[in-house]
Amino acid sequence: MLINRIFSGNDAVYGLTEGAIDQAIAQHGAEKAVGFPNTAYCLPCYYAVTGVKVKTLQELKEALGVVKTLMTRNHELDDALMSGVATALCAEFIEALKYIDGATPYEEPCYGHLADAIIRELGVPLVTGDIPGVAVILGAAPTAQEGVDLVKSYQAQGILVTLVGGIIDQCKELGLNMGYGVRIVPLGYDVTSVIHVVSVAIRAALIFGNVTPGDAGGLLTYTSQRVPAFVNAFKPIDDVILAAGAGAIKLGFPVISNETENIVEVPGALIAQPDVSKFNATSLEARNIKIKITKIDIPVAFASAFEGEIIRRGDMQVEFDGSRVDCFELVQSKDASEIEDHKIEVIGPDFDEFEVGSKQSIGYIVEVAGKNMQSDFEPVFERKFHSYINCIEGIMHTGQRDMIRVRVSKDAYAAGFRAKHIGEVLYAKIKNEFEAVVDKCQVKIYTNAEDCTKLRHELAIPAFDKRDDRLSNLTDESVDVYYSCILCQAFSPSHVCVVTPERLGLCGAVSWLDAKATNELDPAGPCQVITKEKPIDESLGSYEDVNEAVKKFSQGALEKVTLYSIMQDPMTSCGCFECICGIEPFSNGVIIANREYSGMTPLGMTFPELASMTGGGVQTPGFMGHGKHFISSKKFMKAEGGVERIVWMPKELKETVADRLNETAKELYGIENFTDMIGDETIAEDPETLVAFLTEKGHPALNLEPMM
Amino acid sequence: MPFNQKPQKFNASINTVEIGCGDKAIKLGGESVFPFYTFDGPIDNAPKVGVEISDMGLEGATPEMLAYYGEGASFADMAKKAAAMEGADFVCLKLEGGDPNGEDKPIEDLLAVVKEVGEAIDTPLVVEGCKNVEKDSELLPKVAEALQGKNVLILSAREENYKAVGAAAGLAYSQKVGAESAVDINLAKQLNVVTTQLGVDAKSIVMNVGSAAVGYGYEYVVSTMDRIKGAALSQDDAMLQMPIITPVADEAWSVKEAMASEADMPEWGSQERRGVTMEIMTAAASLAAGSNAVLLKHPQSVKTIANMIKELV
Repeated sequence: MLINRIFSGNDAVYGLTEGAIDQAIAQHGAEKAVGFPNTAYCLPCYYAVTGVKVKTLQELKEALGVVKTLMTRNHELDDALMSGVATALCAEFIEALKYIDGATPYEEPCYGHLADAIIRELGVPLVTGDIPGVAVILGAAPTAQEGVDLVKSYQAQGILVTLVGGIIDQCKELGLNMGYGVRIVPLGYDVTSVIHVVSVAIRAALIFGNVTPGDAGGLLTYTSQRVPAFVNAFKPIDDVILAAGAGAIKLGFPVISNETENIVEVPGALIAQPDVSKFNATSLEARNIKIKITKIDIPVAFASAFEGEIIRRGDMQVEFDGSRVDCFELVQSKDASEIEDHKIEVIGPDFDEFEVGSKQSIGYIVEVAGKNMQSDFEPVFERKFHSYINCIEGIMHTGQRDMIRVRVSKDAYAAGFRAKHIGEVLYAKIKNEFEAVVDKCQVKIYTNAEDCTKLRHELAIPAFDKRDDRLSNLTDESVDVYYSCILCQAFSPSHVCVVTPERLGLCGAVSWLDAKATNELDPAGPCQVITKEKPIDESLGSYEDVNEAVKKFSQGALEKVTLYSIMQDPMTSCGCFECICGIEPFSNGVIIANREYSGMTPLGMTFPELASMTGGGVQTPGFMGHGKHFISSKKFMKAEGGVERIVWMPKELKETVADRLNETAKELYGIENFTDMIGDETIAEDPETLVAFLTEKGHPALNLEPMM
Repeated sequence: MPFNQKPQKFNASINTVEIGCGDKAIKLGGESVFPFYTFDGPIDNAPKVGVEISDMGLEGATPEMLAYYGEGASFADMAKKAAAMEGADFVCLKLEGGDPNGEDKPIEDLLAVVKEVGEAIDTPLVVEGCKNVEKDSELLPKVAEALQGKNVLILSAREENYKAVGAAAGLAYSQKVGAESAVDINLAKQLNVVTTQLGVDAKSIVMNVGSAAVGYGYEYVVSTMDRIKGAALSQDDAMLQMPIITPVADEAWSVKEAMASEADMPEWGSQERRGVTMEIMTAAASLAAGSNAVLLKHPQSVKTIANMIKELV
């Protein structure tokens, strides 16, 4: 039925066009010039599709013959869409005839044909996203007020609005200021005038997309991928409008309509939305348009200058303290249908109802959805909350997960800061910074003690546990790719980190999940995918693909690295390592020193002295930089026997890693309380005393093969 | 044993980018050897020297520059004199007065200067914005529009505004795009990647990879350029094969060696000579490290550097 209606609309427009051209030829003669003013593209749509420039009525008549060949009548969607394109081309012909003899068929406020200069000017903000989309509104809204509200909603988002038909008079009636300058462009009253906005999209493809005229496939790809236009058509939708709409759909522009009769929805292309007030949200979602948030709507300032601000007890209006009462912060990915973008809900009492200086519960859940969203990104977003909330003037935030503390100052409260503003900040920052993966976002803020207790235990803690499990189950073998990180190349030009699930970046700040998220969010950025399809020696952790990547990213400075050996082609270091591990020859083991440790090590070198021979992107067999978390990894120097080689660490570091290191040693070697066998500065700062201690404890390294 | 010269051959070359129109048009890049390594292979397009003038006129000009341009010179006069300077290949108009933290001149006023200069000379033209990213993203598209058909180089698109500047200069008005990054090979490459993803032809991009005055951390500049040329030639990295242009005058004339007055530093000698020396040394180092063009302002520096290039290529 839909297809038949499109065919019949197409036939009607074709008939009109044929009649109009014949009449024009009868009146002016076949050699009469035809075309639009101020464009180098003659009839831009026809030129772009076919590569042929039409300049006279005779050529126009021939072009109509070409259009006829598009009008195949198989009962298929694609035939219907091509008939839509044919309808659009006919519309262009009819409009072109209006301009014969330098006529000016359009008058204030209508624009009709738009000059090339406008497209060049318009193209730049379209490319930068300053104009996030182009709305084409067709027909008359149910009431003038609804129509104007819709136009204004797009205008407020920076979207360029073009108007065709009854909506123009509705805007005039309510005195709406229209014009190119305010991004509301009335085109004309005839439905054929819609071609003037199509012409903009098509010339944009020719100018900005370097699409070759005649390359119809390239043209359609460009308009559907790069021109963020969509159509809002008000009922009644007749066959002609439907046929024109089919043309829009073929260009990749979805059509949203409040018509519900005699129409069949086509998912993502022809969408029925009976509620005009929801046209905006439906259209943006259908065209995948993301609106940039330039200003966060809160009553206090937001800047990194406030990040370190301390709020003393006496200055605070209210405090949320996760160490005393139930509090949490959580990011959860959801299905797009479950989320209403920018919905911020406060569930429970607002700040006004809390006693001044009291301790309260708070829990906020940021729910996100997006086509490229992965649940692995949740902790990456969540970790940014600390910085986001701290950047609010008069708000202090510490901790993470369910161990947070948030203080709101009396000044911020007096300025009008309330619970929902936390949501506004989180919403704006997440949408802006993670634009590549977040399409929709909503925030729920709970301030009831009961809700917080329940959600903390039933929702948040299980989510955190699940994540921790995921992290501990992530092994180098269980993933298909590793990531490079070259963030530090500015000062260490030949260094490349290969980040794997069990070997995080040596700075300690880039885990495999972080690298993965960085890659997704910034595809041309510092973290690139490294495949691991060509293993050379799995126990050394050497791969041909890894070597190729390292060579490429170090611009040839490094030929090969192993992931698990400290002796053979060890991974290089930039200089930001949390720890340095170095060979201790008397015990066949290694010592580890962390950056914070200022004393002497049994190697006779302090941390800075060790650092000077480990950094700078050079390979020094026997020495390597690494993150603290790597110490308890089963991949730590796996090629040389693993963690049982560790004979000495500063006491503080040893205590930090004890639990997990003991667990690893038990699992790998069946040794209980392994860290008790490891020396520290209180036991020995020289090799002789250390070896005596190790012998006494029966440290396993003493019986291992020498490392060199 | 006799010395046996083995030329270093690369199967890759730096892109050739043409700026300007007609007889005076210049070509940057095109070589497939390291800077000045003419013993390894030919360098068809010798590095070029550009002369900087500013929308601020002769404010802060040295006595010799004032004498060269003549006090009260119009922008058109300055442009003609700059183009006629001995050793000059092209002219660079700096729109520093547009900086919101400085004079904050309105865009229309700056465009008037741009048009006056554009009409006065047929020498290839480079236009440099005010360095404020927001202002530049409004200003530079307008500049690209105003100079349509002149094939100018627009400096510069940066990480923050490459879309606006790149789309206007590189797509809408078919000019050349300067891609500016801060002394880091990866940032330079990343900017080239995203700019080409925008649709700008890689062969319409010239890089400004950042600079410093000699003695002020200049070794970072050397190592960055060195590595860029290395990756471009030995690794055939298409995203680093854009020729490099380096604004030298800005850096060289704003360090204490060039700025300290003779009253404060009598033992340092003539202030003008010191500035010229800094400018010449920085330019020579930039060219040796891999710049395909330098931007200078003092007539003596322009002449000296042009001579140096002539002797070496």
